[in-house]
Amino acid sequence: MAGARNGDRSRNGAMWASIKWFLMRFGSPIVLFGLWEVAARNNFIDARVLPAPTKVAATIWDMIKNDDLLRHTGITTLRFLVGMIVGTIPGVLLGLTMGLFRPVRIILNPLVAILYPIPRIALFPLVLILVGLNETSNMLMIAIGPFFTMLITAMAAVMNVEPIYRDVARNFGVKPRHLYFTVTLPAVLPSLMAGGLVSLGLALLGTVAVEFLVSTEGLGYIIWNSWQVLSLSRSMAGLVVGALLGAACYLLMDWLERWFIPWQKSAKR
Amino acid sequence: MFLREDGGLEGRHDVRTQARAGIAIRGLAKTFDVRPAPVKALDTIDMFVAEGEFLCIVGPSGCGKTTLLRILAGLETPSVGAIDISIKHEGRPLQSMVFQEQGVFPWLTTLDNAAFGMQARGVAKAERHAVARAMLAKLGLAGFERTYPRQLSGGMRQRVNLARAFANDPAILLMDEPLGALDEQTKMLVQDDLLKLWEETRKTVIFITHSLDEAVVLGDRVAVMSHRPGRIKALFDVRLPNALELRNNPDFIEVRRLVWESLREEVLAARGE
Repeated sequence: MAGARNGDRSRNGAMWASIKWFLMRFGSPIVLFGLWEVAARNNFIDARVLPAPTKVAATIWDMIKNDDLLRHTGITTLRFLVGMIVGTIPGVLLGLTMGLFRPVRIILNPLVAILYPIPRIALFPLVLILVGLNETSNMLMIAIGPFFTMLITAMAAVMNVEPIYRDVARNFGVKPRHLYFTVTLPAVLPSLMAGGLVSLGLALLGTVAVEFLVSTEGLGYIIWNSWQVLSLSRSMAGLVVGALLGAACYLLMDWLERWFIPWQKSAKR
Repeated sequence: MFLREDGGLEGRHDVRTQARAGIAIRGLAKTFDVRPAPVKALDTIDMFVAEGEFLCIVGPSGCGKTTLLRILAGLETPSVGAIDISIKHEGRPLQSMVFQEQGVFPWLTTLDNAAFGMQARGVAKAERHAVARAMLAKLGLAGFERTYPRQLSGGMRQRVNLARAFANDPAILLMDEPLGALDEQTKMLVQDDLLKLWEETRKTVIFITHSLDEAVVLGDRVAVMSHRPGRIKALFDVRLPNALELRNNPDFIEVRRLVWESLREEVLAARGE
């Protein structure tokens, strides 16, 4: 009898725990969307300026059917991915090289110091003149943010590797040319992953900015063009799809982190 | 007679040097070229460590103990002098170092950390894992093979460090304050682990510590280093029976007192600089 009651209680406890988990994870967006919906429907806010979430969802569905929204999303995704890859990989390689080799660092650091703080979008006219009004310059623009972020992150990470790790490896007979893969790379991976997350946001920002300015396709174009013709629900639809794209990338990075640096994950828990 | 002090190295030692296998350190000095002025870390170290001996080195902070050990470990080169090692080590590495606790790689599992030295030497995976597993079990870490270091307590991490060095099975073990960061109770337990392992293997050990108790409990001999630039000021023979029961031995207190008398002057001198 007592045991059965205990069993009930622990089952209840488990149920409560999962409800609590769900509320903690998704509670705040649900409440926000709920308030927004109520406010828009009851004219607390101007539904023409900020259409209700259900209305936005309906608009998205409509645009998928009639306005090639999926194609625009695809184009934005492609630009973002190419920009991200074109920026991240050279950024990481150059950053690691600068971190590992002092002469390289001394020679290139002034250039980084001059170029990094420039508001990137201000470079766009120059890039357009140098490279041309084409997709290549779009992707270069998108790549600049991740490039510098990864360069600086990778360089700092290499320079901050605990010297004791290299001492251990050398003492146990790891050859100098193998130190890089045995010690440096695993030691900097967590920092690179964090830099990757920052780069992700910058690349998305760059993509939308470029599409605002020159493109006739993509989510940025939809957002800006719809705003110019005062079709705010379409503009909002573009924004929401863009946000979903960003969230998907973020989750992907989180998943990659679990695979690549399992020791970090276990430390967080 | 459990105790003998001899100031530095006289002819007596040189005779032994010829006869027995061991580590002969001759006229070793080290100067670091740093700004604004070069720092002389070690000044003419002469010492002989016999094969199978457990030597502890104590000295005031900054006296060059770690530098001496790093030279022995091949991580620094001496400015002057030489080290002759006549210990045979066929089929096994000559020396491994037990680093401080942070020396455990956070990205390797406990098992891979323990097997690291063997992996670097190219020992096959099955074999090195078997050896590492056995060593971890001896140190009470069975069941933690697949755990990452950050999930372990400080004492467990330090045992991983010991396992890594012992599993590598070197002829000489060099230890740089390996237990310094542990709390008192954990430290005593790990000391016991260490002594048990050493009694099984009888490796030559050079052990740096700032704890007098630790030096007297663990060492066959205790070397006291002077303040910087470091020299070997005195060597104490600690012939106390049954190391594991040692802490309760009245002679322990007496040895500790004598070592402290010698060390105290150096600590005061180092402070006065």
